[in-house]
Amino acid sequence: MNERVTGAIRYSQDVERPNMLHAKIVRSLAAHAQITRIELPGGIPEGCVLITAADVADCRPYGCLVPDTPVLAETARYVGDPIAAVAAPDPRLAERLARAVAVEWSDLPAATDLEAALAADAPVVHDVCEVASRRGAWSGMRPIDGTNVSHRSRLIHGRGEAGFDEADVVVEGEWTTASAQHAPMEPHACLAEWAGGRLTVWTGTQTPFNLRRELATAFGLAEADVRVIAPPMGGSFGAKTFTRIEAIAAALARAAQRPVKLVLARDELFLTLNRHPTRSRVRLGATRDGRFVARRVWSWWDTGAYADTGPNVAAKGAWAAVGPYRFDHVEIDADCVYTNRPSNGAFRGYAATQAAWASEQCVDMLAERLAIDPLELRLQNVLRDGDRFATGELMHDFHVAECLEAVAREIEWDRSRAGVGLCALMKGMQTPSRAGARIELADGRLTVHAATAEIGQGPTTVLPKLAAEALGADPRLVTLAEIDTDVTPFDTRTTSSRSTHMMAGALGEAAEALRRALADELEAAPGDLRFTADGGIEIVGTPASRRPLASLPALSGEGEHVIEGGLDPDSGQGIASAHWHQGAGAVRVAVDRETGVVEIVGLAAAVYAGRVVDASRAALQNDGSVVMGIGSALYESIEFSDGQVTNANMGDYQVPAFRDVPAFAATLHELPGAEIHGLGETALPLVPAATGNALRALGLAQSHLPIHPERVLDALDRSGA
Amino acid sequence: MSGTVWHRPASLADALALKAELGDDALAIAGGTYLGVLLSTGLIDPPEALIALGGIAELRGLEVDGDVLRIGALETHRAVERSVAVRQGGFEALADTFALVANVRIRSVATVGGVLADADYASDPPAMLCALGAVVVLASSRGERRLSIEQLILGHYETAIEHDELLVRVEIPRPERAAYLKFRSRGSEDRPCVGVAVVRRAGLRVVIGAASDRPQVFPELCALADGRELTPELCDEIAGGYAERLEALDDLRGSAGYRRRVTRTLVRRGLEAIA
Repeated sequence: MNERVTGAIRYSQDVERPNMLHAKIVRSLAAHAQITRIELPGGIPEGCVLITAADVADCRPYGCLVPDTPVLAETARYVGDPIAAVAAPDPRLAERLARAVAVEWSDLPAATDLEAALAADAPVVHDVCEVASRRGAWSGMRPIDGTNVSHRSRLIHGRGEAGFDEADVVVEGEWTTASAQHAPMEPHACLAEWAGGRLTVWTGTQTPFNLRRELATAFGLAEADVRVIAPPMGGSFGAKTFTRIEAIAAALARAAQRPVKLVLARDELFLTLNRHPTRSRVRLGATRDGRFVARRVWSWWDTGAYADTGPNVAAKGAWAAVGPYRFDHVEIDADCVYTNRPSNGAFRGYAATQAAWASEQCVDMLAERLAIDPLELRLQNVLRDGDRFATGELMHDFHVAECLEAVAREIEWDRSRAGVGLCALMKGMQTPSRAGARIELADGRLTVHAATAEIGQGPTTVLPKLAAEALGADPRLVTLAEIDTDVTPFDTRTTSSRSTHMMAGALGEAAEALRRALADELEAAPGDLRFTADGGIEIVGTPASRRPLASLPALSGEGEHVIEGGLDPDSGQGIASAHWHQGAGAVRVAVDRETGVVEIVGLAAAVYAGRVVDASRAALQNDGSVVMGIGSALYESIEFSDGQVTNANMGDYQVPAFRDVPAFAATLHELPGAEIHGLGETALPLVPAATGNALRALGLAQSHLPIHPERVLDALDRSGA
Repeated sequence: MSGTVWHRPASLADALALKAELGDDALAIAGGTYLGVLLSTGLIDPPEALIALGGIAELRGLEVDGDVLRIGALETHRAVERSVAVRQGGFEALADTFALVANVRIRSVATVGGVLADADYASDPPAMLCALGAVVVLASSRGERRLSIEQLILGHYETAIEHDELLVRVEIPRPERAAYLKFRSRGSEDRPCVGVAVVRRAGLRVVIGAASDRPQVFPELCALADGRELTPELCDEIAGGYAERLEALDDLRGSAGYRRRVTRTLVRRGLEAIA
């Protein structure tokens, strides 16, 4: 971590290659248009290149779930869609050239928001069935022909909607969320180079192996002919997942026959990947005494012009809308909808933020209707070990109830509930999932090769620590190597708070394999080996057998941890997550009744962590998650006008600053000896929903996220206060 | 296709000579917090030339002379905020206003001349300077002229500064009582949704900033306070009048209607603060 503070760390934008060029993207000014002409008046200066869709006509569209994304668009599908790119020896020249490029186009009808995209006669962004049938598309895609719905995710449990006939009371509401930006400090940056028919890309990415596959698809290469090297990132939060700018850099490098570096400017991040805006309709049925009976949810997820991971976000949003509760009957439709907007994809809190904003407020609606304490209502219905979730899976190691009780204590629920709201949450990790790791011994040093990307969350500390624990060696002997897909074993990706959990398994196996290799070398039983404090290894009980590690030949051990599962796309039944991220939040607000300004005056977040590997980093991640939640609750909203982002800068788009963060209590509930639980993003979704319920407790219920004081003032007017 | 030429004049005379020669083709730059954003986001094309004012000593200075505070155009927000001369010279409310802008990183480079010459509606200092009756001194090789803030700021990003002129300093008469209320509808580092400056000297002056393209003052409403004590009823009356007459715009910080509503509250709170 220290190297981030001193500036010694080398990010992907610090990578340099001889004779490299600098790139700039030329973007569409139209939300939906056929590009008819692109040229550089006065011609292309020597040593520079300009490429358009025609120059990548041989490339295939790519995408992590749907191959719908061209390297450069001939039909532009959003304001900001890359339609051409230039490279020049100097970044400023590249910028000037990009600005000077003249573009002609003919406009097509555009659907620039969810409402427009879902209208009966909506312009179609893609032929959804055609793109879903392309080679490489996810087989679980359920597009709705002739519409913008690229995927409808369904979940049916019990008798579904029909089960409401067993409910005494039914409440229903509709909620919406705005688009948000990840706003990492470091922008996207990559460098692409071709040599001997192979493509090498240095890029900050959470998904090096997905990127390798997508680049291989795009350029018609074998995966082995694409090499992804992933330096550490200065934040990502989901922004640097799958293929973002790498294919454009690679196409420029191919045209220029020189290495090309592409670094985005801040405003371009808002045109590259954002969080899904959503609309959700939630209906909740219960018995008179508060037992949950049935839940029905319809939700719409604006995935933008290219699906990216949107169908998966909608699928997760489907079961996330159930919440951590027992239900007899559940029916959910979650639609992933194309619009003429920048793509929306993975974002810390992955679908849970939007789902909890709606579903957890619906729980409080019911509490109000039944005049039952919202804490009691939750505790009455919350899942516990041995219960079955709506997906059919059996819950284990489940502690949401304890988290709820902890935050209620912290916020002094029993003392005063004025302006206090709660939220309970469960979140899953990427399932199925596969993680590989290798531990190498050479020259007396132990090196871990594992594709967990360093985003600031600390795998450079945590993975060596896990490897050292498994080996019984001093962690100071172990370092984590940079990710290089030519060298590093396969890993699904660094997302969904899965890495520490998954890598603990893989490193455990790798350590055993290395111990076996060492045992062979020392002609001993693996269980008899012991690493010594001074960097040696010996056979237990035989100090004379001690050998310095440096005297051993190069040895290595490899391990893999595989988790099966997944949900049936038509019923939502199966294994949604191999382990559950669990938490509860409580927020106390104060409202300026003359301006509608909401101040968070108390905030408690409790996250179940199971076994904690590195206490300080775990706590810092949890704290960061809370702070980001405050931004989502009160400030963060990407604004559009006719499809164009109007606040693509950090002045007009607001993230929380130090003075916006109240003193808060974020706790991790540890259970020594339990499984390692993901914890990097559980707290974020708790904050907006708990804040919404806090306002609801004051009679100032809000339907739209983020909460703007103007709408709070409107609610005050309605409440007659 | 050639790059922007940077000029770094060492004296005001040299800078004015450059402005006279290059006119609109050359933009003056000081802290760069405004031009930097415009250029990096492509809202304007890079100019043929930039005149960097940083080396001009005549544009600096923060001093109280009798009843007047003089601030050189190149002084930063942070310098005003931290100036003992300003705070102890009876201009504490002005120092407080500059302290409310953005964050310390911005305030350490953004200049007093810059925030006036940008004429960005969503700013704090112009409303306060307007309420204080500040005079802006514009210089060119033709000579100097003095304008009030109302005369200087004409609309969105539009000022009375001629192509060969530079804003060189601001002169501010000392108030008896003054207060600035910044209303943010979002984060603590946001620009104002509405800013209300209230100043009492012989008469009352209430100026609303950030609600429309330029600071707004309604002298007839201010005149209601002439010779009267600021009772709660009078505060309410003036506040109500301001809310009614305010010209307001819609943006992501609030709608026009919302701005009028919070203006009423803020004017009342501001008047109560100096009553």
